[in-house]
Amino acid sequence: MSTFVYMTRCDGCGHCVDICPSDIMHIDENIRRAVNIEPNFCWECYSCVKACPNHAIDVRGYADFAPMGHSVRVRREEEKGTISWKIKFRNGTTKDFVSPITTKPWGEFIPKLAEADKPNQEEINSQRLYTEPEGLNIDGELPAVPKDSFKKGVYY
Amino acid sequence: MMSTNPFSALAENIPSVFIQGFVLFMLLLIFFGTVIQMIHHKNLTYFFRNAKKAKLSAEKKLGAGERAAIIAKTVVHDIATTAELGAGKRRVAHVLGMWGTILFWIASVVMIFCYTSIDVETPTLWPMMWHIGAIMTCIGGYWFWLFLRVDVLAEAHPWYRIIKADLFVLTLLACATTGLAWSYTQSLNLENRWDDKVFLILYIISNLALFGGVYWSKFAHMFYKPGAAIQKNLAEADGSRDNLPPLAEAPKQFGLGIKREQPKHY
Amino acid sequence: MASHKTHYEDCDVLVVGGGMAGTGATFEARHWGRDLKIICVEKANIDRSGAVAQGLYAINCYMGMQWGENQPEDHVRYARNDLMGMVREDLGYDMARHVDSTVHMFDEWGLPMMKNEKTGRYLREGKWQIMIHGESYKPIVAEAAKKSADKIYNRIMITHLLMDEEKENRIGGAVGFNMRTGHFHVFRAKTVIVAAGGASHIFKPRAVGEGMGRTWYAPWSNGSAYALPIAVGAKMTQMENRIVLCRFKDGYGPVGAYFLHLKTYTQNANGENYEKKWYDQTKELVGEYIDHHPTPTCLRNHAFIQETMAGGGPIHMVTTEAFQDPHLETVGWENFLGMTVGQAVVWASQNIDPKYTNPELTTSEPYVMGSHATCSGAWVSGPEDLSPPEYFWGYNRMLTVDGLFGAGDTVGGSAHKFSSGSFTEGRLAAKAAVKYIQDQKAEGIKVTDKQCNNFKEAVYKPLETYTVAQNEITGGTVSPSYISPIQGLQRLQRIMDEYVGGIATNYMTNANMLKRGLELLAWLEEDLEKVGAEDLHQLMRAWELKHRALTSQCVTEHTMFREETRWPGYYYRGDHMKLDDDNWHCLTVSRRDPKTGKFSLEKVPVYHIVDENEKKKAS
Repeated sequence: MSTFVYMTRCDGCGHCVDICPSDIMHIDENIRRAVNIEPNFCWECYSCVKACPNHAIDVRGYADFAPMGHSVRVRREEEKGTISWKIKFRNGTTKDFVSPITTKPWGEFIPKLAEADKPNQEEINSQRLYTEPEGLNIDGELPAVPKDSFKKGVYY
Repeated sequence: MMSTNPFSALAENIPSVFIQGFVLFMLLLIFFGTVIQMIHHKNLTYFFRNAKKAKLSAEKKLGAGERAAIIAKTVVHDIATTAELGAGKRRVAHVLGMWGTILFWIASVVMIFCYTSIDVETPTLWPMMWHIGAIMTCIGGYWFWLFLRVDVLAEAHPWYRIIKADLFVLTLLACATTGLAWSYTQSLNLENRWDDKVFLILYIISNLALFGGVYWSKFAHMFYKPGAAIQKNLAEADGSRDNLPPLAEAPKQFGLGIKREQPKHY
Repeated sequence: MASHKTHYEDCDVLVVGGGMAGTGATFEARHWGRDLKIICVEKANIDRSGAVAQGLYAINCYMGMQWGENQPEDHVRYARNDLMGMVREDLGYDMARHVDSTVHMFDEWGLPMMKNEKTGRYLREGKWQIMIHGESYKPIVAEAAKKSADKIYNRIMITHLLMDEEKENRIGGAVGFNMRTGHFHVFRAKTVIVAAGGASHIFKPRAVGEGMGRTWYAPWSNGSAYALPIAVGAKMTQMENRIVLCRFKDGYGPVGAYFLHLKTYTQNANGENYEKKWYDQTKELVGEYIDHHPTPTCLRNHAFIQETMAGGGPIHMVTTEAFQDPHLETVGWENFLGMTVGQAVVWASQNIDPKYTNPELTTSEPYVMGSHATCSGAWVSGPEDLSPPEYFWGYNRMLTVDGLFGAGDTVGGSAHKFSSGSFTEGRLAAKAAVKYIQDQKAEGIKVTDKQCNNFKEAVYKPLETYTVAQNEITGGTVSPSYISPIQGLQRLQRIMDEYVGGIATNYMTNANMLKRGLELLAWLEEDLEKVGAEDLHQLMRAWELKHRALTSQCVTEHTMFREETRWPGYYYRGDHMKLDDDNWHCLTVSRRDPKTGKFSLEKVPVYHIVDENEKKKAS
């Protein structure tokens, strides 16, 4: 499967170039628009498709095994916290799906640890991680296994 | 300088009919460049075939009045304010450059065809428009060239790297820059000093390059892009929407995440 | 872009890789090291990098201790069972006891977790898995890392680790290049946490054209997690334990939700439940392991492979029953859309509607990674309170090189971590790295310009090779003097495929084949001195290839060393077609000498710190 870019929709903003995990979305030298330079390293992750503000990028299933005439398009709306999909089969069947992508305003509930309470030496020496043991929501301490129960090389 | 019509001074040495002929020649170059490109690339065939295909997945049929309204709105909003570029520097630069060029060209045509004879005085409006248009083109264009081009911004190419895609914007900037330089040096009355005619010649060459290069450059996109914008809005209205899912029915309450940042993470 | 200017940066904690493990490490490091300089270097863009780029539909590792659903020792038994006994139980227990706090943080940060309407708990897909709407999983955790780090570098590929020149076997930092600007970056660091990608594309994939891109594990996971430590002489473990996956055909879409939530099942082309047919034969191979519940992943693969070879294919997933329920149908599709969109594309293109058609399954080409039903990776120290003496040398998740830590796919022996466990392992490595610094273990590190410049020359060499070699030919891609990254990759993939147990031989190999494979890999290593890169993007591909090639050598050496078939269904040793607990109930550990390039391997005991137990009923 591989991405391709619609000529009429791309305006050369560079978001796809910036986001592609495979570094395969680049700018064509003749028209200064985006193009997939290495379809055989395209994972069809849809990162570029979702990032494009003009919905200029689409996916055509890998030529090795995907017959033509299908369409799987997406609309990721960050402000609404939704992702909407429209699937169209080769035979015209369509399926639509909408899912949430966040439950909270982006970043607002992610702590800046530099500003949180500093750990004391006892916590530093312990096995506990940030938020623990309260963050595990259990009664009591972090679980452990007594060393005298260890068995070497014996199998069950 | 800004209120002087540079073409009337020019018409003292070159008959105005030649200057007017040059403009007509430029128009012919645009026409042929665009038409040959269309025939060669068969882009009209593609456009109408695609529109026909999209109609099949239309959810509703648009009336003539509806279509006219959408087209009008597209022209006034999407095209006139280059809405496709969203909010930000690129849009501002493009709007400056686009309207600057439009003013520059309109003022050129008006001054060349109406105000080049000796006995006619040019109203200040036209030379002002010409010069301001050229300056706007330069501001928008150089800003774009040096900082905003995506291959410079997102791909870290140096600003001085030139590719085929730069043909249009570079020749346009050349016209505006050499035009202003010509107007300025002409107003100094240099009387055949070495640099008296240099910028005029460069201005002429720039125009030839800009309009002669239509077949190879992105010039004709100024016709294609409005067409595409109209087609897109019609598709959105009739429900075909290029197979995209509709907008989600949910309130905007989460702010921006990845999209709050510029596409420059290196 | 042509300038190869060098930038130096000094820091305390350098995290190589910004995936699930890297973001976990970067995030947690700030809590324990308030005044430390923490830097994360990512090859792509941290917002969508790594294996979780397209999202996930389930978190496959959550204990649910708060509701008494599972305890860490249950997970150890599960992972041990699935890996046929061969895991580091200390690492697994350590990960399992912390993972719940990681998941609770994700919930707090805004990751949509599905809830069971009746109980209010996270909706379970299976015993260990909970279901999420995780399309934005990666951007959310990336934001956490950004808030903690002093700086996140994107588009820089780390090619080599730096060693301290003052004290032997101590880390000094890392170097790499920026694939946009072309600049060289030297990071001098007190500690380095390698949280890079495992290895996809070292075996020839089933699709070889455009379809090459549709690997099960991300194509940008190029084995840096292994190559970086191997190159500095760190010990590795279980590198023979490659994983093969049974997934939907062509798209390699996930089957977990199908089996567990939709309760679908497999059958051969004649409508038979074929797995039972292979019970006796499998028992001959592995003994009583076939009687364990649940059946280990590799043994299920084994039945699939045998059935297909015997002519019972194509094997299908029976979905027509489950998909009649509209809720299950939605789950079945969204499962792909939030995790492997490519599978939805395949079905749309082939008119496969699981309501009416039972889709085909296949077994994939092998992959080498450390966080799934497999645990290849670096040999690391465990935590002080859980590790037997042979498994502990001072700092949790530290490799056998001082100051070098690992997390996620990098770490061997800790299986079934998945996303949440990898993030957790990153947190563990970060805390330990900070303690290492606070214990003054990183004082007096010396990294000379000479070391950096030697690496710089090596890093950019492929660009020069290409340019010079172009003078010889008129054009095109065929040259007697250089190979391109794709040419080298396809050669590597063929070597591994034909000799080290790829799909060409139905995962079969033996000592003779492995010997030949090592020979060919050695020649490839030599030829990679002549890899040519046309531009910075190709330079990145060239270094990805070099990391893959080194990883492949290690994998082949390990496969040669373990003289048994421990995981039929992952691979077979034709010359030792039996599981051999008498001689091989142990882990394999290797070390490559950085000076000579020779591998030496040893057996290391498996410690069972958790005993076998009757099944406890979940409350």
